[in-house]
Amino acid sequence: MENPRLDAFQVIADPSRRQILYLLSKDSLTINALAENFDMSRPAVSKHVKVLNESGFISIRDIGRERYCTLHEDGFKELQKWLEYFDAFWAGKLKKLEGLLKDKAAKK
Amino acid sequence: MAKIIKHQIFYPNPAAEVWDYLTVPALMAQWLMPTDFKPVEGHEFKFTSKPMPDWDFDGIFHCKVLEIVQFEKLVYSWDFGPGNGQMTRSEVHWALTEKSDGTELVLIHRGFEGSEILPIFDAMEKGWLQNINKINKLLNPESDGKPAA
Repeated sequence: MENPRLDAFQVIADPSRRQILYLLSKDSLTINALAENFDMSRPAVSKHVKVLNESGFISIRDIGRERYCTLHEDGFKELQKWLEYFDAFWAGKLKKLEGLLKDKAAKK
Repeated sequence: MAKIIKHQIFYPNPAAEVWDYLTVPALMAQWLMPTDFKPVEGHEFKFTSKPMPDWDFDGIFHCKVLEIVQFEKLVYSWDFGPGNGQMTRSEVHWALTEKSDGTELVLIHRGFEGSEILPIFDAMEKGWLQNINKINKLLNPESDGKPAA
């Protein structure tokens, strides 16, 4: 079963996925090594890893028989993109409001 | 990277006038977006905008009044998504302070769920090369002159 496509914020809204990112921020780890940090089953951890990989937060490389997970910047840039969007969005809207309010103040 | 969106702006109007532009739908539509807002705590409303399919955004902000203090404070949730029920959650906070010659308005847009993860990104930008080197060493254990573990 495929996961529906999640946006970056939805990906990190899951505490287990955030925990995986925290662990990987310290070191690159295999899926097995990651799974040791969780009570859930290895397949469950694998599923989270898959979501993180598909959304660009991590990359996976096969080294020998092991799959190593490393943080990847694309997912984080997606988050940054939205924050920058809203920052510019509000700056523009408030400028427009300023025009309206100044007109109103000048009419008195 | 910005983890919080904050804008502070001074308007030469009394707080009641600024407040009207934040809470009267006909006035809100003039600068923000069309909306069915009501100044009642718990009221659920929407802002409608243009969809941005490339960004997985259907053009609707789903909101709920969380806190309202007339002429002083307004907080609403601000959730958005691709239209399939999945939502990115956040909050918009407005604070008004009346001064002798106008009103200071502060907007804070925050509470993006999971955004406490963002410091990792800052650290990552710094440690990026280090991480890449580490992976390269794993891939080519001989290249750093040491035998593979």
